[in-house]
Amino acid sequence: MFYGKATDQATQERGECGGAVTAILTAALEQNLVDGALVIKRSESIYDGFPFFATTKEEIAEASGSLHCAPTLSAKVIKNYLNAARDTRVAVTCKPCDARAIVEMGKRNQLNMDNVYMVGVNCAGTMPPVPAREMIRKFYEIDPDDVVKEEIAKGKLIIQTKDGEHKEVSIDTLEKEGYGRRKNCQRCEYNIPRMADIACGNWGVIGPDAGQATFIEVFTDKGQKLLDTATSSGALTLTDAPPEGIALREKLDGIMVKMAHKFMDAQFAKYDGADKFEKMFADLDRCILCRNCIINCPICYCEECFTKKDYVMAQGTLPPEPMFHLTRLMHIGPSCVDCGQCEDGCPAEIPIAMITHMVQTDLQKATGYVPGRSLEDPIPLSEWEEVQE
Amino acid sequence: MSQAEAAQSSEQEWEPRILTFCCNWCSYAGADSAGTSRMQYPTNMRIIRIMCSGRLNPMFIVKGFLSGADMVMMLGCHFGDCHYLKGNFACNARMTLLKPYLQAIGINPERLYWNQISASEAIKFKETMENIVKKGKELGPIANELGVHAQGAGAQTSKKTAKAVAGDFFS
Repeated sequence: MFYGKATDQATQERGECGGAVTAILTAALEQNLVDGALVIKRSESIYDGFPFFATTKEEIAEASGSLHCAPTLSAKVIKNYLNAARDTRVAVTCKPCDARAIVEMGKRNQLNMDNVYMVGVNCAGTMPPVPAREMIRKFYEIDPDDVVKEEIAKGKLIIQTKDGEHKEVSIDTLEKEGYGRRKNCQRCEYNIPRMADIACGNWGVIGPDAGQATFIEVFTDKGQKLLDTATSSGALTLTDAPPEGIALREKLDGIMVKMAHKFMDAQFAKYDGADKFEKMFADLDRCILCRNCIINCPICYCEECFTKKDYVMAQGTLPPEPMFHLTRLMHIGPSCVDCGQCEDGCPAEIPIAMITHMVQTDLQKATGYVPGRSLEDPIPLSEWEEVQE
Repeated sequence: MSQAEAAQSSEQEWEPRILTFCCNWCSYAGADSAGTSRMQYPTNMRIIRIMCSGRLNPMFIVKGFLSGADMVMMLGCHFGDCHYLKGNFACNARMTLLKPYLQAIGINPERLYWNQISASEAIKFKETMENIVKKGKELGPIANELGVHAQGAGAQTSKKTAKAVAGDFFS
C-alpha cells in the first residue's frame, strides 16, 4: 500500500489528490500497455459526466479530476462500444460497481478480461445530475453553475465555488429530504474496489500529504504491471503508506459499510411481512415493458430472452405477467451488483434495483456467493459436484 | 379447474391443488406402479411428465405457483439411477437455489417439495402424496401469498376477476 503522486506539476494540479490516476493512465498509454483509457469526462458542467474513450495523453488530461454526478456503468460501455475489449486493450477507471460488473461480465465471457485493466477508484456514492442541481440551489443557495468542485468527505458533501468559497452540508440532511446520493449508492457496502487491479482513493492519506497524494493498493499482477509502468517511466512517485493511514482507511470503510447496512434495512423494510409478494407487485405492476432494465443490466446478456417466449408469459399484455419480473430476478438475482442502472432507466420509477438487491442479499445468505468479488468464484449452479449422502 | 369441481370444492373442505413434475423413467413409472397396484392415494395432484428432472427449468415451478398450484412437487430418480446420468444432480442443485429464491420473493419455500422415487417405490409414492396433501392443507391456498396474481386460484379467494391467462395448467 502506497501514497502515490504524479511527478508532473500540471497533472498534480489538474487531477484529484496528486493526480496519481491520471499519471498511471498516461504512463500505461505512453508505454503501450493499453490502446486507450475509458474515463469519465465532464462536458458542459460538473453535473455532466459521461464515459469517454481517451486515446491520447491530452484527452486523458482533459478528463482528470473526480465527478460525482456520473451515474454511468463503464462495464456495459466496454461491451457495447469497444467490442467487449476483444481487440482493444483498455484501461478503465471504475467505481466498485463498475469493477464488480466487469468481473461478473468477465465470468460470463462477455468481456475479454485479458485486455481490461481496472483502475479502481474509491466511491462513496454518485448523484443523479438533475436533482443534484436542484439540491445545490435549495441547500447551498447558490447557482449550480458556479460550483467548480464537489467532494464527499466525512459524511458531508463539500462544494467549492468559483470564488474559492467552501460550503458543506451533511449527507444525512440531504438524504432525509430525498436528495443526495442515488438510492442504490446509499445501500452500497463496497467503497473500495478490492476486485479491481488497483484501488486508488483519498482515504487514509494523513500527514503533510493529506489531500495532496492518492492512497494506492495493488490487488493483482496486472495492477502491479500498471504501477510498475508508471513508476519506471517516472510519471509517478510512490512512498510507503504509514500504518496509521492504513488503519484510518479501514475505519472509514467500516463506517460506510455500517451506514450501508442501516440504509439496506430501512429500505428493504418496505416489503417486509407475510404479503411480501403482493407489496412487491403493487410497485412492479406499474411496468410498461419497455425492457430498459434488461438493456441496461450488465448481467443480462442472452441473445434470445426467456421472457419473449409464449410458453413463459403471454406476449402483448400490460402490465406484463409476474413471470417477467420473476424471471429477471431469478436470472440475475444471485449476481446483482446493485449498480442501479435498471432503476435509472425505468420510466415508471419502479424501485427495481432495490427489489433485485433485496433478492440478491437473501440469496447471498443462502449460497454464500458474493457477486463481483473475484473472477475465481464460480457463479451459483455453474459448477456442482456429485455428492451422495 | 373445471367449474363443477370449483363449485364442489367451495361447499366442501378446501383441497390443495398439487402440481407434480415426474421424471419419465422413475417417478412416473412409480406413479404407474401405484395405480396398477390399486393403491388409494389423494387425487389432488396433476402430474406433468418430463423426460428428466434435470430438464425442469426452475421458472416452470414459479409459473406453476402463478397458475394456481398450492404446492409444486418435483419427483426424480435416485442419485446414480438417472437415465441421463447426471440430470437429477442438476435438479438437486437447482432446488437448493430455488428455495431461498422463493423465500425472497415471498412464497413459502415449503410449498416446493423435491424427492426421489424409483419405479418400484409405489408405496413411497402413495405416502408422499398423503403427506404432501396434509402439508398443503396446513399451508393454505397460494392466493394468501400471491394475492391477485394467483391466476388459477378459486373464485372465493381471488380478487382479480377477469384477465387473460396464458397457460393455466388447470383449465
